[in-house]
Amino acid sequence: MKNDFDLREVIKMTRRDFLASSASGIGTLAFASLLAQEGLLAAETKKTASTNGPLSVKAPHFAPKAKNCIFFYMEGAPSQMDLFDPKPKLNELSGQKLPDSMLEKVRFAFIQKEGARLMGSPRKFQKYGQCGMDLSDLLPHISTCVDDIAWIRSMHTDQFNHHPGQLMMQCGSPVFGRPTMGAWMTYGLGSESQNLPGYVVLTAGRGTSGGASLWSSGFLPSTHAGVLFRNQGDPVLNLSNPPGITPEMQHYGLDALNDLNKLRHKQVGDPEIASRIAAYELAFRMQTAAPELMDLSGESKETIEAYGINRKEPDIKADRGGGPGQFKAFATNCLLARRLVERGVRFVNIFHASWDHHSNLNPELTHNCLMADQPIAALLKDLKQRGLLDSTLVVWGSEFGRTPLGENRAGREANTGRDHHPFAFSLWMAGGGVKGGQIIGETDDIGWNIVKDPIHINDLHATILHLFGIEHTNLIYRFSGRDFRLTDVAGEVVQKLLA
Amino acid sequence: MAGINNFLRRLLSGLILFVFVLNGTATDVSLAQKANEKVAQKKKIEHWSFKAPQTPAIPKAKNKSWVRNPIDAFVLARLENEKIKPSPEADRVTLIRRLSFDLLGLPPTLDEVAAFINDKRKDAYEQLVDRLLSSPHFGERWGRHWLDLARYADSDGYEKDSPRPYAWLYRNWVIDAVNRDLPFDQFTLEQLAGDLFPDATEEQKKATGFHRNTLTNKEGGVDQEEFRNKAVVDRVNTTGSTWLGLTVGCAECHSHKYDPISQREYYQLFAFFNSTDEKDIPAPQPEELGKYKADKKVWDEEHAKLVEPLDTYIKNEIPAKQAEWETSGKLTAVRWTVLESKLASSANGATLKTQTNKSILATDKSPATDTYTVEVEADLKNVTGFRLEILDDKDPAKGPGRAKDGNFILSEFSVKVREPGNERAAQPIPLQNPSADFSQKNWSVTAAIDGDPKTGWAIIPETNQFHVAVFETRKPMNFVPGTKLIFTLDHQYGTEHTIAHFRLSATSSPQPVEASLLSDEIVTIWETPSDQRTEKQKEELARYFREEVDPEARKLNQPVQEHSKKEPKFPETKAQTLAENDKPRKTTIHIRGDFLRPGDEVQPATLAVLPPLQPRTAKPDRLDLARWIMDPANPLTARVAVNHIWNHLLGRGFVATLNDFGTRGEKPSHPELLDWLAITFMSPANSQSSTLPPPQTPARPRRNEVKAGNSQLSCDWSRKEMIKLMVTSATYRQSSKNRPGLLERDPNNVLLARQSRFRLEAENVRDIYLAASGLLNPAIGGPSIRPPLPADIAALGYANGVKWKESDGAEKYRRGMYIFFQRTVPYPMLMTFDAPDSNVTCTRRERSNTPLQALTLLNDPVFFECAQALGRRVAAEPGANDGRIKRAFELCLSREPTKAEMKRLLKLYRDELQLVQARPESAAKIIGEKDDQQNDATEKATLVALSRVIMNLDEFVTRD
Repeated sequence: MKNDFDLREVIKMTRRDFLASSASGIGTLAFASLLAQEGLLAAETKKTASTNGPLSVKAPHFAPKAKNCIFFYMEGAPSQMDLFDPKPKLNELSGQKLPDSMLEKVRFAFIQKEGARLMGSPRKFQKYGQCGMDLSDLLPHISTCVDDIAWIRSMHTDQFNHHPGQLMMQCGSPVFGRPTMGAWMTYGLGSESQNLPGYVVLTAGRGTSGGASLWSSGFLPSTHAGVLFRNQGDPVLNLSNPPGITPEMQHYGLDALNDLNKLRHKQVGDPEIASRIAAYELAFRMQTAAPELMDLSGESKETIEAYGINRKEPDIKADRGGGPGQFKAFATNCLLARRLVERGVRFVNIFHASWDHHSNLNPELTHNCLMADQPIAALLKDLKQRGLLDSTLVVWGSEFGRTPLGENRAGREANTGRDHHPFAFSLWMAGGGVKGGQIIGETDDIGWNIVKDPIHINDLHATILHLFGIEHTNLIYRFSGRDFRLTDVAGEVVQKLLA
Repeated sequence: MAGINNFLRRLLSGLILFVFVLNGTATDVSLAQKANEKVAQKKKIEHWSFKAPQTPAIPKAKNKSWVRNPIDAFVLARLENEKIKPSPEADRVTLIRRLSFDLLGLPPTLDEVAAFINDKRKDAYEQLVDRLLSSPHFGERWGRHWLDLARYADSDGYEKDSPRPYAWLYRNWVIDAVNRDLPFDQFTLEQLAGDLFPDATEEQKKATGFHRNTLTNKEGGVDQEEFRNKAVVDRVNTTGSTWLGLTVGCAECHSHKYDPISQREYYQLFAFFNSTDEKDIPAPQPEELGKYKADKKVWDEEHAKLVEPLDTYIKNEIPAKQAEWETSGKLTAVRWTVLESKLASSANGATLKTQTNKSILATDKSPATDTYTVEVEADLKNVTGFRLEILDDKDPAKGPGRAKDGNFILSEFSVKVREPGNERAAQPIPLQNPSADFSQKNWSVTAAIDGDPKTGWAIIPETNQFHVAVFETRKPMNFVPGTKLIFTLDHQYGTEHTIAHFRLSATSSPQPVEASLLSDEIVTIWETPSDQRTEKQKEELARYFREEVDPEARKLNQPVQEHSKKEPKFPETKAQTLAENDKPRKTTIHIRGDFLRPGDEVQPATLAVLPPLQPRTAKPDRLDLARWIMDPANPLTARVAVNHIWNHLLGRGFVATLNDFGTRGEKPSHPELLDWLAITFMSPANSQSSTLPPPQTPARPRRNEVKAGNSQLSCDWSRKEMIKLMVTSATYRQSSKNRPGLLERDPNNVLLARQSRFRLEAENVRDIYLAASGLLNPAIGGPSIRPPLPADIAALGYANGVKWKESDGAEKYRRGMYIFFQRTVPYPMLMTFDAPDSNVTCTRRERSNTPLQALTLLNDPVFFECAQALGRRVAAEPGANDGRIKRAFELCLSREPTKAEMKRLLKLYRDELQLVQARPESAAKIIGEKDDQQNDATEKATLVALSRVIMNLDEFVTRD
């Protein structure tokens, strides 16, 4: 990427610590110096880290397996016992009450304890692959990839309301103002993309509970916040030139802008001007790179079909699965995720809302799976075929799971949905150094509690960072008098997950 | 049970740790460890910031001529020690721009710049400072700094993130308080405890809005007590960091690791806020109140005219007529038993709540179609019919249906019975002979039990009224105790044709039972012998007679009723305030910070490491806490406050960790100067020179504890005087240019050998664009505005709940600080430029420099509109184009371009003009106006393109 005005050159020219100058703060410095102290950065990388921008590539603590991450966030909590964790016993006991002792200390969002009854699953399960993973009939495509995937049935969290739960999954803590996983990742490792942001967010469906707080940089500089790529209008907000301003005009304009800024730089000698020039350069490159990214015309017909981008979607009630048009949006996002990874984007967060099925669970879940199953499987196969899966970690999950109890919200005659369940839920991971083709963890006969290998969200985050070559207790940021981590004050790497 | 077990294990390990920390005396702690702890504890207590500031001697610097006030003496002495020379004073253009940005957040006009440059008075600079300090925009600029600490926002936060339509009343209070220079101690007392002042004024109560900016979680199924506790925690933490510069929040789950704050002390602070409730008080704006009073007067007069003939009639004729009716009249007396539901649900997401009168109200989401299911316990015999009452909303614009026109369509009404012991099967109860007080044409009540969801019962045009439908059972039914009746009200028509408010009853009166508007109360009164009726009952019966029975009274009453619906409403504007609960809550330690795990009970008290609390009574309250914070003996408050002010004016605090003056915070760069400023800030006025009002309430703490030195200046907590002191120093007036060698020596400008140079804050970036373009609407205060925002961005809010209605006309061009702050979908431009997310207090904003900022300034329609306006503005000026280009440059940067700059701009002009001339049809688009003369359009468009470049210069968005 040699431009006539190179980013690195400009910054080097200033001979000053860019991190300090860009006022990204005390914390960043603390990080750099701390890593240096503990000898975690090799000599050369130390130099890079202190002379380049906050998004320049930084060396991890040890050799990484994964370089990129695609995180599918299925907002609202998909029902694990209808997808990944079959419970024949639950079907048997369907309609019966749970013993009071089990309910005594449990809090629910909506279930009325009195009269709550177990609810079996109408879905049919079957074993797939060498690992013999049982999957619901709602996932015919993903079932062809089972041996690439590590299946976790023993996730648990501390939160049972959506927004706090989502913050927990994204930030490792239910408290506001913390950075999300993607922000930590670009903070710790920088971005390998010269032309695109390091942390990209793609959305489909309706708005999530957490809104933009789910890709916030928290107390980290805003440079680390996720950048929303939109599925209408400009792919990035304000990417296009204003009406009438042609690319040539833009080019001349930016040339003059750079020249004038350089004149000012000579006068006042502020390195921040050099950073501004570099930022405009990157913005200009993004103006070309982002539309190129979104342009799928170079993709083969087979690829487009495999992802199911132009599938006909079923006629639906107005708001099911986020309303009409989501099949195309979601499938496109899956394909874009691959294209983003190919272009060096560190962290791709794909959101779809909502999977919060308090009622009509069966038809709603059927609909969502019909939408998500094919493109996700296509992405896994596509990454594998292109040799990208080894270095790309794919995660599929949500903030918590759903109850084995049917939701008996006031007076409803039949239970048709499930409530929030933080004690046991499922999640899966593939690629990026994860040992696929295994099932981790077990829940009890009705799926209420974990009986084997519990994995807390902090453990999940520790493991994800480990795959990227980061020791989670050493990725820290000083803020408000305390050192903060993605894993808060807990977290253990789940060794079983590592290949 | 591993899930729960693991959860418990985590909690338990925390508990053990907690016990360990709490009882430092546990037997397994060796003596050596104890000794170590003691040393550490002593170190903590002896930390510099916990000791009262001492008036330092003002150093004698060598270069006396440079020193303008004592600040400079401290700064220069340090520089001379380091053998570094201070920078020369900045030129006047830079000075007026710097002062305007720092004090107002707006650029100076060209006239103001010229006036200052040509001001030959010796005190021209001081005159300028005074003028700016008295500008009403000063309150906006320094109010916005305060709003960062107050985590101000216009919505609740969390999933539902509902708007707070009157949050701005607090913002108005802040702007006003800063403008009238309410002394910082008073400013603090009112915000923390204005409600507790004796005879608190409405303004003082509004000030408590500071702690109403905490988040509110209205997500379905949340435990309200959990989030009430979270708000209290936030109040404690924010108070600690804003005023004391302490990270008290670290002691929420366990004693502070580094500072002398135990977990017990944390909950003692918590106790000050734990009995505080959130109270919205009526706060009509003067103009609203004026309008209301005027409208009400007119209405009262009209009403009196209508009431008069009715009153006369009631007085003269009614008694006889009523007496006759009571002796000869008849009342069909069906007796109804109102059914109470404990379980009522909506299939499509509406919220059904049972009211005190046993009616059921549908609120929140209004689905297109919906099925209500209501379950009641029935212990009834011989049931012959069911009644459905449709209750009307008081608001004439609404109801009784939820459709826009107030209608509803009840597609089907059915009842099932579920007998005890046979819980899974419910049997339908056959219904017959439906009747209603009124049915819409072609929408008869009979359609509600015909089994066809396409037909139903509706009520147009008789909306805004109470209605009744009655359904007979085919045969009298007996229900044994424990039986459940399940009513289903199905609304399949669509477009929200659902019932908003209803009540169900059953009767055992003999059939036929028919719909009647007669209320159950009247029946009871009627059946009570007249000599046993209470006064209230008598009046109720009289009201019934004249409003429902007597034709003449009804005729006279109708216009009165109609007119009553038009009665002007008292303005809805309500201020968010704090108020003490009459029943104080008990406060306990929360083990590991978990509100469900109470530990020891604690009483309100302050930190042992700081001077003692001096409560007014035996029960310390928030006002005592506020007085303790502002007590001049408190070593932290004044230091923290002057450090904030210095940070805003020099780009860096003496203590760079603005919210952490604890042992882990940074050491102060100029400790003596910090102390000198802190003492100056607190010192009471000792002469008539003070422009401040006298102490306003007895709540203000004693101030004789500050011992000022002889030459000690005093601010008496005046923010304006402190700012004036700082900005008139030579230190502040230095050039911000980097001198050779200085950058390497002192990259962060800790030694202050120059001014700092930094990008403007998010809101001010918007402000300068609007100001330079001439579009700015400088109105101060009032409700928040919504600039244009792409629909898909607003749609990121939960379930399309965020409504973003763009502001009209000049409102669109208000300053950045008035942009509606929706917590889950913050305005992207603000976030891109590092505005705080407002979920927690923000003491220090980041200043990042990113490509998204470049894209925003280049392409955001709001900013391009400014470039268009600027281009058109200069195009309208007479003369040649170089003059116009120069003018655009001056309007943005307050200075003429240099020769080199002008040369480059002219080259750009020629290049861009060529490009526009090659595509003349694009000119109109670039200019953004249709009615332009084609002949000069290409030149005008080129000036717009040029303006866009000038407005993207680093210098434009930077305060030098």
